[in-house]
Amino acid sequence: MYFLTYLRRELRRRMRQAVVIALGLAVGVGLVVIVIAASAGVKKAQGAVLSSLYGVGTDVTVTGKAPAAPTPGSGPPPKGATTIQAGPGGAQICQNGKCQNAAGQTIDNLGSTAYDPIGYSSVASVAKLHDVAAAAGGLSLTDNQVTFPKDFGQAGSESAPPQPNSFGVDGVDLAHPSLGPLSSRTIKSGRTLRSSDTNADVTVVDSNYATSHDLRTGSTVTIDKTTFTVVGVVTQPQSGSPPDMYIPLARAQALGSSQGQSLRNKVNTIYVTAASAADISTVRNEIAKLLPGDTVTTASSLASQITGSASDAAKLANDLGKWLSILVLVAAFVVASLLTLAAVGRRVREFGTLKAIGWRGRRIVAQVMGESVAIGIIGAAIGVGLAFAGVAVIDAVAPHLSATLAQATGQHFRSIGPGGAQSDTPAANHTVSVPMSAVITPGAIALAVLLAIAGGLLAGAFASWRIGRLRPVEALSRVA
Amino acid sequence: MYKLTGVTKLYQKGRRTVPAVRGLDLVIEDGEWLAVQGRTGHGKSTLLNLLGGLDRPTEGVVALDGTDLGTLREAPLTRLRARAIGFVFQTFNLVPTLSAAENVEAALIPLGTGHAERRRRVEAALDSVGLADRARHLPSELSGGQQQRVAIARALVKEPKVVLADEPTGNLDEDTRDEIIALLEKLWRERGLTLVLVTHDSGIARRAQRAGVMDKGRFRIRQGTRGLAAGAGDQPAPGPLRPEPGW
Repeated sequence: MYFLTYLRRELRRRMRQAVVIALGLAVGVGLVVIVIAASAGVKKAQGAVLSSLYGVGTDVTVTGKAPAAPTPGSGPPPKGATTIQAGPGGAQICQNGKCQNAAGQTIDNLGSTAYDPIGYSSVASVAKLHDVAAAAGGLSLTDNQVTFPKDFGQAGSESAPPQPNSFGVDGVDLAHPSLGPLSSRTIKSGRTLRSSDTNADVTVVDSNYATSHDLRTGSTVTIDKTTFTVVGVVTQPQSGSPPDMYIPLARAQALGSSQGQSLRNKVNTIYVTAASAADISTVRNEIAKLLPGDTVTTASSLASQITGSASDAAKLANDLGKWLSILVLVAAFVVASLLTLAAVGRRVREFGTLKAIGWRGRRIVAQVMGESVAIGIIGAAIGVGLAFAGVAVIDAVAPHLSATLAQATGQHFRSIGPGGAQSDTPAANHTVSVPMSAVITPGAIALAVLLAIAGGLLAGAFASWRIGRLRPVEALSRVA
Repeated sequence: MYKLTGVTKLYQKGRRTVPAVRGLDLVIEDGEWLAVQGRTGHGKSTLLNLLGGLDRPTEGVVALDGTDLGTLREAPLTRLRARAIGFVFQTFNLVPTLSAAENVEAALIPLGTGHAERRRRVEAALDSVGLADRARHLPSELSGGQQQRVAIARALVKEPKVVLADEPTGNLDEDTRDEIIALLEKLWRERGLTLVLVTHDSGIARRAQRAGVMDKGRFRIRQGTRGLAAGAGDQPAPGPLRPEPGW
């Protein structure tokens, strides 16, 4: 009681100085909290990016190795591949050595261009690994549709070369709806795919694609010359370039091909959930051993591949922000210590008198430390307030962050020139735009309070060290 | 009872060793009022510090009731000060942020006295110095004389055996000085305290049972062997102070 009365009176008496020290600590811890909040916001944004790429609940993905890029005009086409050849009678569509006139024809091919296929049995093998909770296969495919004008390639024809219509199609393992890219999507209309759809020609369409192609629930789309009925429209958390359509995995396997080979009993992506977060690294290593030729990616390794402003913001928060906040914090601690020392210096007579009348040094030190901690708590409160204000400013002025993940090399699309020549066009990177929003967590607030109190304690410790060494006779004679 | 035997206190000032007290032998009986005079820098305050356990002698023994203050460790010495010795300073040395009552209460904190008992004793102490109605005032709201009364109450609230007063009237005007000395004398008489009072004022010194002078670190008794021989029961009657030019 007396302790608190004394403490309160001293703080009130030295209000201005207490406020200066508290403000110094507040700026320091406030900046630390802002940096942590910004960093958490960036991490959250990265997490959103990763979940949009991975799907919620996926810890590890396994993808087939990237196919080698074909060299234009070199070597025979792979078995089963469709090629366009120009000749005197016009353009020809050729497959397995058989050719027919391209004019008026439509090529519709669902293929795996990003990754080489992985045997479906690998999914079961991965699922059986000790630290794996669940594994689901998926097919990440592209449907390319080209329709040739009826007079295409004929002498005197003015038809422009056909422009391909391409869209992404993901084959979804309906036995594991909580894994894979569809798991993070929100249903806008209709429904999602369900296990009874395994062999049905039904599709769920991304809302952006649905809008641009005027699709809605009940509409039909053609995938590899097969008509699919749209049963739902979904949105993903961030704008970006998600797959345009989701179809049952079994249907994707039946229709898809890679390098002219059917994808039956194949996948090109395996989505894996580890038994616990601590097991992710182990799982990655186990899978890398099990499937040595394939690419094993974790959220953290994927995060390191991300470029763009989200990555720049993360680097800024981690590097500049961290050092700046440490610098300000140290400066605040030093200023607080010096001011507290100066304050104690002015109270030498007071402490000398208290020692003379029988106060133990420990009690006086506790009194000074109590005052410093109280100032620290005030600093923490102001600092947290400053942090909330800073975060509000960040949220108000921060632009959307873009995160770009380079797709696996080897994703190419063959376009056809008027003379029948081929060229390779790499597919665009996967770019996701995420809102930058700093997040103040309870942990950050606790850290602010602890830091401010630590600052107060540090400042008080120097002063206490001085008081501890103070002999009452010195203190009293200094006054006399 | 204080018994000082061969007490010497040396201070180091740069390369020079300065003797503040030299070969002092002195007995101060329980309940005695001893006045100590002397010129500035001749060891008066050093003697008081040695008696109060605020400083340790370089040589010799300062014993209070048989306890050697010079060899006592810091913690028991602090406890002894808290329990048995009251200090009154020339500059009052009140904590400026605490009220009169809280300043007095400060002396009871190291004794671990309960809150209710502290309140009771603080009220009684302030009442005994005539400041019961100023209990909530801050030092800055009190006159010099009132502040010194608070300091006296702080020294007495723990009911000490000894009160050591270092020029308690040095910062006060003549009328206030008379009031404070009269108060100290009254309390000394009522409570049977041992009072050691350092003063420049011969008028004050003459009111003590015994008075001596510190001269270049040596102590000489100037008056009052009568008081010492007669004990506390044979004290001089209080009366107006008569300032004197000096010894």
